[in-house]
Amino acid sequence: MMLQPEKIEPVLPQRQPDSTALQIQGLNLWLGHTPVLEGVDLVLAQTGVTTLIGPSGAGKSSLLRCINGLYQNWQGQIELLGRDIRHWPGGWDQLRSHVGLIAQKPCVFPQSIRANVVFGVQGWRQRRRADALVEAVLRQAALWDEVSARLLAPAETLSLGQQQRLCIARALAIKPGLLLLDEPTASLDPRSKQLIEQSVKSLAASMPVLCVTHDLEQARRLGGQVVFMCDGKVIEQADCESFFQRPKRLESREFLSWNVCEC
Amino acid sequence: MLKFWLTFSSLTTAIIILAVLGFLLQASWPLMQSQGLSFVTGTEWYPYEQLYGMLPVLVGSFWSIVLALLLAVPTGLAAAILCAELLPERGRAALRFSMELMAGIPSVVYGLLGLWLLLPLLESQFDLLTGRSLLAAGLLLALMILPTIMVFSESALRAVVTEQRETALLLGLDWPTRLLRLLLPQAWPGIRVAILLALGRAMGETVAVMLVVGSMDRLPQPLYNLLQPAQTLTSRVGREMAEAVVGSVHWAALISSGLALALVAMLLSLLTQRWRS
Amino acid sequence: MNRSQISKIIIVGLALPALLLPGVCLAYILFKGLPALSWSFLFSATEGLGFGATSGVLAQLLGSLLLALLASLVATPFALGTALYYRLLASKRQQALLAGLLNMLQSIPPVVFGLFGLIVFVHLLQWGVSLLSGAIILAMVILPMLVLNSIASLERIPGQYTEAAQSLGLHHGAVIGRVWLVQAWPGILTGQLLGVARALSETAPILFTATVFSGVVWPESIFSPVTTLQTHIFYLAQEGSNPQVIQVAWGSAVVLLGLVAAFALLARYLANRYENPQHLGAER
Repeated sequence: MMLQPEKIEPVLPQRQPDSTALQIQGLNLWLGHTPVLEGVDLVLAQTGVTTLIGPSGAGKSSLLRCINGLYQNWQGQIELLGRDIRHWPGGWDQLRSHVGLIAQKPCVFPQSIRANVVFGVQGWRQRRRADALVEAVLRQAALWDEVSARLLAPAETLSLGQQQRLCIARALAIKPGLLLLDEPTASLDPRSKQLIEQSVKSLAASMPVLCVTHDLEQARRLGGQVVFMCDGKVIEQADCESFFQRPKRLESREFLSWNVCEC
Repeated sequence: MLKFWLTFSSLTTAIIILAVLGFLLQASWPLMQSQGLSFVTGTEWYPYEQLYGMLPVLVGSFWSIVLALLLAVPTGLAAAILCAELLPERGRAALRFSMELMAGIPSVVYGLLGLWLLLPLLESQFDLLTGRSLLAAGLLLALMILPTIMVFSESALRAVVTEQRETALLLGLDWPTRLLRLLLPQAWPGIRVAILLALGRAMGETVAVMLVVGSMDRLPQPLYNLLQPAQTLTSRVGREMAEAVVGSVHWAALISSGLALALVAMLLSLLTQRWRS
Repeated sequence: MNRSQISKIIIVGLALPALLLPGVCLAYILFKGLPALSWSFLFSATEGLGFGATSGVLAQLLGSLLLALLASLVATPFALGTALYYRLLASKRQQALLAGLLNMLQSIPPVVFGLFGLIVFVHLLQWGVSLLSGAIILAMVILPMLVLNSIASLERIPGQYTEAAQSLGLHHGAVIGRVWLVQAWPGILTGQLLGVARALSETAPILFTATVFSGVVWPESIFSPVTTLQTHIFYLAQEGSNPQVIQVAWGSAVVLLGLVAAFALLARYLANRYENPQHLGAER
């Protein structure tokens, strides 16, 4: 008999129906004596993909690190679900358990596939009884079919692309209210890239997803909103289609044309 | 010529090990001859009456080592966690230096500290006639093996890679959870090697134990009584070696204690090396 | 108070002995021992009056140093030879075997070497309780440490140096003498100094093979017994009836600690000064 996958509902403190998922206002960040982010404003809706593009060193990854509190010395305002993340109930650790982040390089723990998936789940009893959860998140990450027969095999035996999908499943298992992806498909094979994009798209139907990417084609495929950043500033935020068809700002146009030329 | 020097000197290690084992075995032969293997379980040790029971010293060694490990492992591990995870760079250097300093104090000086600082404290604390006891030996040994446990565990903890630490952080796990579920399991192979090394050190320590253990050749009454004077394998060797007549059964009995120590230590070393690779 | 803070407080609490005890031990030793130190305590060897209570420790100081230096001298050729064999001639399997044996030798408690020396050197070879017996026993104790240190410092030599030397057609001897020893001597010397410090702190193996309580200032030959600080402390510590004697024991402990620290700190200085590649010019 097939197990019925459990529906993943993000558990969030006081979800307000009309509020935006994430609102950033006037975010400034200095690392040492270098300004990294200057007056960043950003709004994410309750659902849907937002891709973050821009040249290297534009501050895209730093922005993600501010949102989940890896950098804490920023100035400005970041509100997740209408709540200032500086005053999140339970502190930064609690905040991070509501924000899933997928790094560029997959990092799996030297344990079984199953143990990796439930690594972030609190309580050993919950981890032991998490079979339904494991299946659900692995399906969402498009990995279930490949690993369902060997959940107890060491995670290092997976290919790099599979490891990255395992990381997505692991992040989903803590039921985040916001998913951040930092160039999740750089250096992966085309098949994994395609699977990950599909699963990101279907995830975006139920939660906000913010995805940093270098790959403009990928941004176009993912659709949704596009945010263009350059030198620590948000230059343009627009609909995917209108951004690629009719970029409003000069910098955006230049960036697009360079990248088209490179292709 | 050069080749001969290199080859010969590289053989010395093996030669020394074989020679030590061979001569010790040969010298302890008279004991096996006169007593068989019954001496291991004998509880009486009276060289003048040809009674060579080893059980009291085995129990004494066991208790002093277990006590030392029970005290030093939690403390050393906590210090390692503090050093590797919580302290800033300067505090870390200071703690490491103080541990190196502690490791550098000669064992006879620890003996002196035990005899003139620890024993009076124990006497007043537990209202004893003499503080010389297995408890004193265990406490002193704990002090001596603390740096070993701390230094090795600390490097094992620091060897856990940054990516994994960050990944656990990103999953929203709080500090104690990260410690219990990531850092300690990952560092465990190094920590158990640290414990084995400390165990070997505690087992072979002679002079300091000799000064505080009381040198009483009888079983603790009851067996778990740590407040009585007692004797360990090494402390008996140290006390009686100079008095034993060369070639006598007494002499052989003492040498056989040394042989047992060497064999157990080498076994531990083999285990350590298997765990390391 | 959340879980993180509580668990951090527990960790600090558990670690408290490790934070305090090194300082307490050192402070107590100095507090007890420093008052005993004086010029005449260090540099006189007046004999035997009142069981060591009034005598200086010059003889013990010299005996300790003599034993440790002689041990290092005996062990060095073997240690260096073994390390060079390991790097130069040994196959992978031999290297693994040698490393295993060295670790095994290092794990044997020093007192066992004392017993071995008592059987072989003192009685079988009829050297008696003597400087020579003690030095060879201590050499056996510090040998694995010296070898492992030398191997480590030889391994730090960049591979291209060796290759360059070999491609110039230099044979083993020249590679060793003109490349390896030139590059590795600070590391090897560091190991030697640490070995001396270790030999200085061993008591059990020389207790009944090399030392007597008194009656010696400077040994007449290598077949004469010596007196050392370590064993001096050991004997005096047990003379509880006379506070003056204990005072001398604490004083001797401070002298011994100073001696060990001097060698260890010199080794540390040397390691910091020369192990840095910039100082060797390797990076330029």
